[in-house]
Amino acid sequence: MAKTINIQPVTRIEGHARISIQLDDQGRVADSKLHIMAMRGFEKFIEGRPAEEVPRIVSRICGICPWMHHTAANKAVDQCFGAQVPPAGRKLRELMQVMAHISDKILHFFFLAAPDFVMGAGADYKIRNVLGLAQAAPELAAQVVKMRQAGQMMLERFAGKVIHPVAMVPGGFAKPMSQKERDELLAGAGEQLEFAKFCMKYAKENVFAKLDQDALSLGRITTGFLGLVDPADGSLNLFDGALRLMKPDGSYLDFNCRQYADFLGERVETWSYGKFPYARVWGEGFSMDLEAPKGIYRSNTLARLNVCDRINTPLAQAELEEFRRRFGRPAQSTTLYHWARLIELVYACERVLEILEDETITDPLVRNPVEPRAGRGVGCVEAPRGSLIHDYVTGDDGCIASANMIVGTTHNLAPMNMSVRRAALDAIKGGQVSEEALNQVEMAVRCYDP
Amino acid sequence: MALRVAEEGLSSCSGCEVAILNLGERLLALAPQLDFVHMPLLMDHKYFGQLGDGDLKRLEIPQAELGLVSGGVRNQEHLEVLQAMRANCGTLVALGTCATHGGIPALINGLANAELMERYYRGCETNDPAPDPTETVPPFLERVYALDEKVKVDIYLPGCPPHPDHIAEAVLAFLEGREPALPHKSVCDACPTVRQGKGQLKSVRRFLQNAQYDPAKPIADMRCLLEQGLLCMGPVTRAGCSGADGEAPRCLKARVPCRGCYGPVRQNGNQMLDMLNALASNGIDIKTLPDRAGGLLRFSGAHGRLRPRPAAK
Amino acid sequence: MAFEPKILAFSCNWCSYAAADLAGASRMQYPANLRIVRVMCSGMVHPNLVMEAFSKGADGVMVLGCHPGECHYLDGNIKAQARLAVVEEMLDAYGLEPERFRLAWCSSAEAERFVEVVTEMTEAVRGLGPNPFRPTRPEDAQEVA
Repeated sequence: MAKTINIQPVTRIEGHARISIQLDDQGRVADSKLHIMAMRGFEKFIEGRPAEEVPRIVSRICGICPWMHHTAANKAVDQCFGAQVPPAGRKLRELMQVMAHISDKILHFFFLAAPDFVMGAGADYKIRNVLGLAQAAPELAAQVVKMRQAGQMMLERFAGKVIHPVAMVPGGFAKPMSQKERDELLAGAGEQLEFAKFCMKYAKENVFAKLDQDALSLGRITTGFLGLVDPADGSLNLFDGALRLMKPDGSYLDFNCRQYADFLGERVETWSYGKFPYARVWGEGFSMDLEAPKGIYRSNTLARLNVCDRINTPLAQAELEEFRRRFGRPAQSTTLYHWARLIELVYACERVLEILEDETITDPLVRNPVEPRAGRGVGCVEAPRGSLIHDYVTGDDGCIASANMIVGTTHNLAPMNMSVRRAALDAIKGGQVSEEALNQVEMAVRCYDP
Repeated sequence: MALRVAEEGLSSCSGCEVAILNLGERLLALAPQLDFVHMPLLMDHKYFGQLGDGDLKRLEIPQAELGLVSGGVRNQEHLEVLQAMRANCGTLVALGTCATHGGIPALINGLANAELMERYYRGCETNDPAPDPTETVPPFLERVYALDEKVKVDIYLPGCPPHPDHIAEAVLAFLEGREPALPHKSVCDACPTVRQGKGQLKSVRRFLQNAQYDPAKPIADMRCLLEQGLLCMGPVTRAGCSGADGEAPRCLKARVPCRGCYGPVRQNGNQMLDMLNALASNGIDIKTLPDRAGGLLRFSGAHGRLRPRPAAK
Repeated sequence: MAFEPKILAFSCNWCSYAAADLAGASRMQYPANLRIVRVMCSGMVHPNLVMEAFSKGADGVMVLGCHPGECHYLDGNIKAQARLAVVEEMLDAYGLEPERFRLAWCSSAEAERFVEVVTEMTEAVRGLGPNPFRPTRPEDAQEVA
């Protein structure tokens, strides 16, 4: 008998979603969808607000990656107002944004994703979570909780507020860094790097070593990729750069973020409040057909490691080389998002140390005054979940006249739908629905860390 | 026996849940006393059965002594989840300013839903224009509601996000069977900056350049930002963001003015009215403030405070 | 039934309340739509009270004080004047017509002026119609304040 399965809510993800799977009379998967259940409308309600206030408002788009929205918004308002950010202000901004990546990656890998691998995809749902993990491996859990917390407190001690930050301001940063603060952060960042190395080793031994062909083909689809690269050498850059849009065959186009609307479009479907970005520039339209996708590209960790030519920090570069030797470029396996995430964790820790080692970061000039005026600005950074684009137009009074945003997770809505379909087709056969099968469908979503 | 806890996020950003995680090792220490029975961010309990075959009219939340709900109520699903939480939790905590006063998402209350839909699905530059999504997605309510506009709330824990110290205090107090000791004064009360008296200021200016202060000196040596002529919502905002023994309010630690994220000092206060009154009574021309409704009710637009501007007659 | 507006007036003890008293003692006619609350000074009428009156169903609200320079407490009425902008701003935010609120001065001897401003106000509010946020249920009364 035909029926619909509702996975609601999708759990251990950062947003709010539902999966519906339609089975036909023979119990085969006939259709599946990942529905985004709400829309808050930040693009609309920031209209009329003084632009310099907006970086403190849009941070609330995401409580897990508020620093990303805070950074992108400040970059956009800088451009609207024609502001020049002093060098130390720019360094502090990158430092904060990359530091925020560290605790985010620890959160996702250990708190959200790892229970599926450590406890097992089919483990009782009551223990298949971070609290179950804490009972099964108390020492590991204690270490993870402590280090994630330490990363958050490093941000909070220096910048006042870690969740929904306020320290970046149009024109720069609200406070300079003292030598004492720099010394404390250097010590903390060193510990974070050691922990990142431990995470990589742990994951390789306990999670990645066990990835067999089945695991690597979970939710497997073939798509293009999008991410920021440093325009100078094509290296990974989370904070700034040019967007690179790669086709499934590995060929790519680089473009200035301000041109994003020429390259990307967004579709609306009747069954989800989320919009579906696609590569408009490819001129092939939009289709989520598993066999013949059109316009589909992915964002987030795997995408960034696929599009970049190299990573300019030594440990992460060594990891990238090993990753590429094993999986090629571009790597398409959805499960590899987790692996890529930990390589980025290593990069983020190394990059934070690099920035802190530059002693000019303590320069007291961190902000230039800004003048409200009419203008347009497109701020782009790499959020943990993908390329984040904030596009603002201001009026003569320096208030927002209109805004458009594409947030990291949104880029992946179409690919996530496809991965859900793939995973459902593979996991549900002959009408046999088990908790493990449904969890595998969710695992395909969790790779994208939405 | 461990205390059963259920947690939900409605129209929210997950920041309150991260604030819970930011308890860090304290959370691990509390863990043996707590039995989390439902928490979508971390755990896999589902509304309609673990096999997804339950009746869509019967949303299941396990029984719990303590329920925490973050986020406001924006759509039909939020309302159903909230009602199920209320029905199954002995004590219900409104966690965070979205739950207590609407929070940032309630800024949409200044606009009609139709305006939002038009802009979002047909008005963005990247958009291929299309009709509003309506199939299998929960319909919007007419505006964003705070929890107590829909169900009874037992404990209010405002903050965007609430300080982990006060989340811990609320849970500990519940375990010990006492009233939680939560701050009830204003942000100014917890602010060490120097106040030299009022009366000289005639206008407030936008935050276009940094405050005047010596970065080598502690915050206690910085002049009050409102007295420096920057709008600071401290006088009309509930204290708490500096935590149990914090040195200063969190935004002030970053040397930026307060924007009111803890909501009004009294639960049913009105931040806009109180701030305008405070400024006007001190001889400051309130017309020098840009975006008064959206700025002063930035975090507390629920309870009918922020509403669409009626069409000009 | 024809609409009869309900108008609440906060009148100061030293001037406008005395003027109302004098109007009554002199048997002058003024609209019965007015409900007077005596306060010690117009300067003590916090905008919260005005907005609460609207939330509880008042169709119009007046604050009546002494003429500038004649305040019993020196500058209470100047404070009231400064707060006028706040009330106007709040009315605008709620989409209520500015004419629903009026700040006026009259001395203890100006019974005629008292009758005049109250009559004008009553007619103006009658023309505007009922307060659209007039609560129909007690719980709605919380909404505007």
